[in-house]
Amino acid sequence: MLDSGTILTGMGVGLGSVAAEVFRVKPVTSLPQAAKHSGDEDLELENLKAAIAAVSLEMNALAEEAGEISAEIFEALIMLLEDEELFETASAQISQGWNAGTAFINAVEEYADVFAGDATFEERLNDIRDLARRVAASIAGISLGLDIPTNGRFVIVGEDFSPADTAQFTEAVVGVVTIQGGPTSHTAIICRSKSIPAVVSCQQAKDLVDGMQVLVDPVGDRVVVDGQESDITEALSFIAKSDNPIIPVRANIGSLEDAIAASASAAEGVGLFRTELLYLSAKTQPTKQAQAASYTEILKAAPGGPIVVRTIDAGSDKPVPFLDMGDEENPALGVRGYRLIENHRDFIVDQLESLEIAREQSGREVWVMAPMVSTYSEAIEFASLARKAGKFKVGIMVETPSIVHQIAQLAGVLDFISVGTNDLSQYLFAADRMNPALGALLNPWQPALLRALEQIATVSQKAGVSSGVCGESASDPAFAVVLAGMGFQSVSSSRSQVGIVRQALSSVTKEQAKEVFEAALTGLDADQAKSAALAALATISAK
Amino acid sequence: MATIKGSITVLDPIGLHARPAGQIVKLVKESGLEVRIGKAGQELAKANSPLRMMALKAKTGEELNIEVDSDDEVLATDLIAQVQEFLKG
Repeated sequence: MLDSGTILTGMGVGLGSVAAEVFRVKPVTSLPQAAKHSGDEDLELENLKAAIAAVSLEMNALAEEAGEISAEIFEALIMLLEDEELFETASAQISQGWNAGTAFINAVEEYADVFAGDATFEERLNDIRDLARRVAASIAGISLGLDIPTNGRFVIVGEDFSPADTAQFTEAVVGVVTIQGGPTSHTAIICRSKSIPAVVSCQQAKDLVDGMQVLVDPVGDRVVVDGQESDITEALSFIAKSDNPIIPVRANIGSLEDAIAASASAAEGVGLFRTELLYLSAKTQPTKQAQAASYTEILKAAPGGPIVVRTIDAGSDKPVPFLDMGDEENPALGVRGYRLIENHRDFIVDQLESLEIAREQSGREVWVMAPMVSTYSEAIEFASLARKAGKFKVGIMVETPSIVHQIAQLAGVLDFISVGTNDLSQYLFAADRMNPALGALLNPWQPALLRALEQIATVSQKAGVSSGVCGESASDPAFAVVLAGMGFQSVSSSRSQVGIVRQALSSVTKEQAKEVFEAALTGLDADQAKSAALAALATISAK
Repeated sequence: MATIKGSITVLDPIGLHARPAGQIVKLVKESGLEVRIGKAGQELAKANSPLRMMALKAKTGEELNIEVDSDDEVLATDLIAQVQEFLKG
């Protein structure tokens, strides 16, 4: 039994909170054990077909109730359920003697092996497994209903909820807690879209039982037993105290659509224009005229202010069809970004010259930078190529730990640097960005990253090189304040975050931002650093 | 019957996942044509099963070969263009 006041930590979904009674979803009536059939294969095939059709109908009915967001999910699920290849795989299982229900579950598991280790597919796999259970239950005549009350107010607690489960949520569901499942699980997506406060991945929730009162507090990433409204963690709110942020907030774009959308935001220019999207789908190298025309269109549409263009950032993991890149053992550590200069100098020069034509035709202020620069020599070489090609401000991305130690020597050579925090983390911590198991090492609040960033801001300032951050972390409003506190001179956020990041940077003075950064430095791990920074921000906004 | 060949690139940031796989199979079934998709250098797979499409495990930026059995070249080219649309994410 959990004591009153016990705090169960998980991952919060949404900003609202709610206190209500626990309704523990019953563990599903167990399905019959795996079993062989009596020898009539045709009958088993008939049974399987009928069950698939029945579950498919059930899903269709749920889709209609569930509304637009889920409808698309259900449509995809129904297609998987009725997949011909899955049916053939199940038929083969029946031929081996397994009964219809067992055969279908086994068939899904054959695919589970194919998808194992691939995080994106694994979450969907759970949805497909749920379908297989439903087919088996339908054959066995068992109901998988959740029996959620229709009246009252309840916090629903369970392992995790499949699309078919969440479609059964009634009006009485005012909060959700799951033991498994992550922030991108189906439960999280549905709760976010329906504004139901939820905490997912909360392992201690297994001890919650019917009748207990809990507070679901997503902002605090926690569930509090017998929690009251006074226990709710306040969402950090930023009240702008001046019209202008302490440093400019630019937007990240990759296409004409992005440029148009960004110009509707409050962004001051573009801090990162990713150019590779223009090339990834091209079979042959576009002519200089074609490149210049695309760039002109995008530059004209971009929000007012300087536009920082990053030259092609491709590699064997992100191949451009017309540049021969070959396969590599470790693409993240291989020939990518500016390293393409070795074999594709003409292409990079072409890109810079196309940009110069676009700069002249659009009349915009264009800054160019190269990604994945790791030595002084590379930086010098790029700067000379870029200055020869056009009237740009010239800079580099700071993503590799090695270049941090040569920024000071680049005084007078570069106009600016821009930090890509995701890649810098990946290389600083030797942690593959694509591996979901290493997420904690890639947390931007890691003290070592904070210190590395401060070093970059400081040496850039001393070298007279303007510094900015365009990585993912600059889209987090609290982190953007910390970056300003370190001395960075601009941030660039994903366009949906521009407004809130601007507001955060308008709610503090430069000195206050520095205090927030110094508070973050007291943390010995990422959680402590973040909590300390948020506490400092809360104190400032209370003033 | 003629076979029209083309190539498509996965641009969806999550790769060839459930939704585009479903969209492709739905389109292929509605067209009534036999369509095959696969990685360069590998045997192509019939595009009539979303699971088989997902099992290609095609990642963002990866180029895939596509073949459509049809004597109507315009129809086949349109279909390939539409499949490419689904892979834009």
